[in-house]
Amino acid sequence: MSDTKLSRRTFLRYLLGTGAVAAAGGVGVGLAPAAQTALARTDAPKARYALIIDTTKCVGCGACVHACNIRNNLPEGKSYVHIVPKDDRGRQWFLPVQCQHCADAPCARVCPTRATYRHESGVVLINEKLCVGCKYCEVACPYQARTFDEERGVVDKCWLCLDWVSEGKDPACVQSCVLGARIFGRLDDPNSEVAQLVASGKAKPLHPEFGTHPAVLHYIIEGE
Amino acid sequence: MGQTAWGWLIAIYLFLGGLGAGSFLMAAFFELSGWRYRSNFCPVALVGATVSGPLVALGSALLIFDLGAGRMQPWRIFYMFTHFSSVMTWGIWILTIFIPLALVYGFLELMESEAFLKGFVSARAPWLLRNARTYRRWVAAVGGVFAVATAVYTGVLISDVGPAIPLWSQPVLPFVRIPMLPILFLISAVSTGMGLTFDISATIADPEIQRRFRIMDLSHIFLIGLENIAIGLLFISALSAGGAAAESAKLVLYGPLAVVFWIGVVLVGLVFPFVVHAYAIGRGQHSLTSGVGSGVGIVIAGLLLRYMIVYAGIPAAL
Repeated sequence: MSDTKLSRRTFLRYLLGTGAVAAAGGVGVGLAPAAQTALARTDAPKARYALIIDTTKCVGCGACVHACNIRNNLPEGKSYVHIVPKDDRGRQWFLPVQCQHCADAPCARVCPTRATYRHESGVVLINEKLCVGCKYCEVACPYQARTFDEERGVVDKCWLCLDWVSEGKDPACVQSCVLGARIFGRLDDPNSEVAQLVASGKAKPLHPEFGTHPAVLHYIIEGE
Repeated sequence: MGQTAWGWLIAIYLFLGGLGAGSFLMAAFFELSGWRYRSNFCPVALVGATVSGPLVALGSALLIFDLGAGRMQPWRIFYMFTHFSSVMTWGIWILTIFIPLALVYGFLELMESEAFLKGFVSARAPWLLRNARTYRRWVAAVGGVFAVATAVYTGVLISDVGPAIPLWSQPVLPFVRIPMLPILFLISAVSTGMGLTFDISATIADPEIQRRFRIMDLSHIFLIGLENIAIGLLFISALSAGGAAAESAKLVLYGPLAVVFWIGVVLVGLVFPFVVHAYAIGRGQHSLTSGVGSGVGIVIAGLLLRYMIVYAGIPAAL
């Protein structure tokens, strides 16, 4: 073994072998997201509800944020709805963002415990008994819609006030919007205002390029 | 700065996972290639096998410490084994298999070098000592596969957030679906493992070892070259992608993280070790200081690289 020529050849052989194993592993694991995309359920069942935000009417007053915070008893500095101020060449407008209840929700895909799941109504929910608070979903949500509750050690977010909604009432944020910038209704009733706004293409998903197929939230944005 | 959900605990874990995996790979390589049998005492095999398990276990402990409800109610951690569309579930399986393998490997290594253990084993399980080489080779081979998986998965974990954090999911080349971070983290893992087990440990234990394994200088330079290409591609593609990816790149290249990047990663972890190993190839030997110094530089840079990537992860603009 002390013959340098032989040892160099041995070294190169093992180096190549190790490299091949590493490359195969890397490529295999690296292709996983692509495979997941290919297998993504774009035929996911349609959502039962729609919440349409008309940004041409929103003035960023924050009533929806307050109503949501009171409804969900959130501590100071935490919120399920955040208002992003926008500036298009001097024209100011506001973009309220919360959980979009995606059909292909990345939060549900990356959750190691299945705590995040899609309810039959299309609303994305969190089973707090399963959540370990790893915050992977918070990192993976492209809408930055999730917050971490330090006290209980779990992640939470907008749940569309599903208890009220299933009794036929509106979510807290919708009830509080005095300007009519939040339009809520049944998507499975083709005659409802929301169903017609979505069908006509006037209300569109936010950032479709994220590829998550937002199912409940749609937006009316001026100039689009 | 970037995202706030994950901080330095995660960065240190990503580093320790890579360092432990890389150290294991070095020991396994010296074992399987037969190099360790060139002399009675092989510090690379001994140190690599011994430290890898504890390092990865320590990193995993930090992961648990970063959990919320999973830390308060540890039985919840078992739920994390259940959802295979999550890379974190893969990771916890990989760690659950790799850590015991690495600890067993360390034990197989120590039982021959530590007199107290050797006496204990020969009294209780003499067959273990008789076939030690066979067992070591098997554990090295199987564990090596899981070591690669550990190093790669740390990169896949954070690149799998897709469009949410563009820097982390930057592809190797435009229109190629393979993310860069798993590859970069694998290169860095092997590099830091080499720095710890060869540059630092082996040089301290036996300065002459550098002369016997001159090929290691070339290997270092080869890895530094690969890491340069990977880091360069990552930030060039991030800059050209625009949006949050470009913002991330600016943070690193000439923003608040520039000192960490240019001094901590580039100078300490790439330029300095390159000079040391290139000079050693020319002179045919290392000084103790330069060998150990280069190893320390590579290891520190491995930690700073993870820190920088974690903190430069800016979420996509809404």
